[in-house]
Parts: sequence; C-alpha cells; structure tokens
Amino acid sequence: MPVRGREMSKEIETRMIVIAPSSSVTPDQITRLIHTLSTEVTVKETCYGAMVEGGKEEVARTIEAVRKLDSNRIFTKVRGFPIGDARRCRAHHGSRPGFTQLEKEWECLSLIEKGVSSAEKCEVVHEVPRRKGIPIEELKRIVEETK
Amino acid sequence: MKVFIVPPNSLILYDLVERYGHTPLSLMGAISKRVMNPEIESPPINVTPNDVKKGLKYAGIEVPSGIRGRLAIWGPLVDEAEAAIIMEDAPFEFGCVGCHRTDEMVRYLVKKRKIPFLEVRYPNSEDEAKVLVSKIKAFLEGLK
Repeated sequence: MPVRGREMSKEIETRMIVIAPSSSVTPDQITRLIHTLSTEVTVKETCYGAMVEGGKEEVARTIEAVRKLDSNRIFTKVRGFPIGDARRCRAHHGSRPGFTQLEKEWECLSLIEKGVSSAEKCEVVHEVPRRKGIPIEELKRIVEETK
Repeated sequence: MKVFIVPPNSLILYDLVERYGHTPLSLMGAISKRVMNPEIESPPINVTPNDVKKGLKYAGIEVPSGIRGRLAIWGPLVDEAEAAIIMEDAPFEFGCVGCHRTDEMVRYLVKKRKIPFLEVRYPNSEDEAKVLVSKIKAFLEGLK
C-alpha cells in the first residue's frame, strides 16, 4: 500500500530547517536552493525556515547542502508529522502543541550559534554563575516602599 | 552512539547531537513511526490504549494515564539509549512536554540505567551558551 504516493519500503523522513534570528539567510533562499538541487524531496517554505520531506538519504543530502549556506546558524530536527498533515497543519485548523517550544528555542538560536562558533575555535570558556532570584527580604522591602 | 535528549523534542539538542556525530533519540522520531503507520487508529489519536498498557513497565497503575502514555513513548527510548543529555529550565509551557511528573520520572529512569549523562541548563546569555555548547561537545566527543 503506497504511503503519500511513495513506496512503502522507502523510509520517509520529514525535517524542519530553522534559521537563527541572527542569520541573513531567508526561508526563500533555502527553498530556492532546494529546488535547484533536483533531489526527490517535497519542500515547504515556513516563517522559521523550511520543511523537507522525502527518502532519508535524499533528505540528508538536502540538509547537507542547505547547511553550507550558513552552517552555524541553520539548525534542523526531525518532525513527527508529515508536511500538511491534517492533525498539525494550520490550513486544516490543526493544533500546534510544539509551537511555544519552537518559538523559545528559535529565540535561543542566536546564543547557541555563538556557542557553536566558540566551540569550533576551541575557545576556553569559564562557568558563569547563574543569576539568582530576588531575595524575599528585598521583595518585601520593595513592596513596602511602593505602598 | 544513541543519545537520548531531554526535552525529547528539543531542536537545540537534536541538532547539536547530530552535529557532533551521534544519533539523537527523540520524541519526533518515535511519533513519526506511529503517525506514518497505516495501521494506527484514525487521527488525532497517536497513542493507543496498548501504549498506555506498555507504560505500566515504567510507572505504576496509580500514576495518571497521561504520564503512562508519555512514558510508553519515552521509556523505550531511554531503554535504547547509550547516553543522555538533560537540559533543565525549560519554560513550563513547553507544549506536549510540559508535564513535570513525566520529566521527573524520565530523569529517574535515565539515572537508574547508569548510562553516561550530562545535565545542562537553557542559556540566558552568550557566555552561558558558550559554556553549554562546550560542555555538550566535550561530552559527545568523550563518548566516541
């Protein structure tokens, strides 16, 4: 039985390509590049980058080529649901339970990119003390002051 | 090596694990196998009653079915893992992984398996991000 028009034996993978906010690459550039690769994949341009779907090897080849555009600022992960799946696609009023996480991680990508570049150069880094919450006494004092 | 990531649908961890030459075990991979399977019950169900029974291996019957359902998918990934990276301080509204009890159980399962694991935090600044990536890189390179 064919799955989404392809042979059942072929392992299909869907990937999300997410561009860090600090990158100058646009989703349009990525989709255009994928079209020129002439690999057998389906591509969809999105607000955060693009989605690619196809055979596992073809998707891997596509991702390799896309990464070359801006390797430290382009991130990818597998997507559970296929492109345009009615359970997730906004066009079909699908739910988006992972959206808040994607939004938060997308914001973090410009920081992660600095980290990846620093690790590439083998820079020596030192542990940074975590900023602590405001002490309760200090909070009480502020509340009293604003009364 | 197969590396289990927490949050199991993290883009940052998935990308970094792959970037440094390992195979990430993620929630998306497990869900993909379920939703692409033509035998699965009709949408939007992606966890079947059978899965919830499988979750009994990881959590007792008195544990809410939502936790058992999640563990039915995450548990086998922990069993398969050869290493794990746990990233803490995820915002509470982190979509389908926003269940604190499941997170605690998963952490317990990882530690119980006695596989190498790394605990890090979501970065708030550039310096924290540099520390985070260097720790992950060193951990993953050490696994080879």
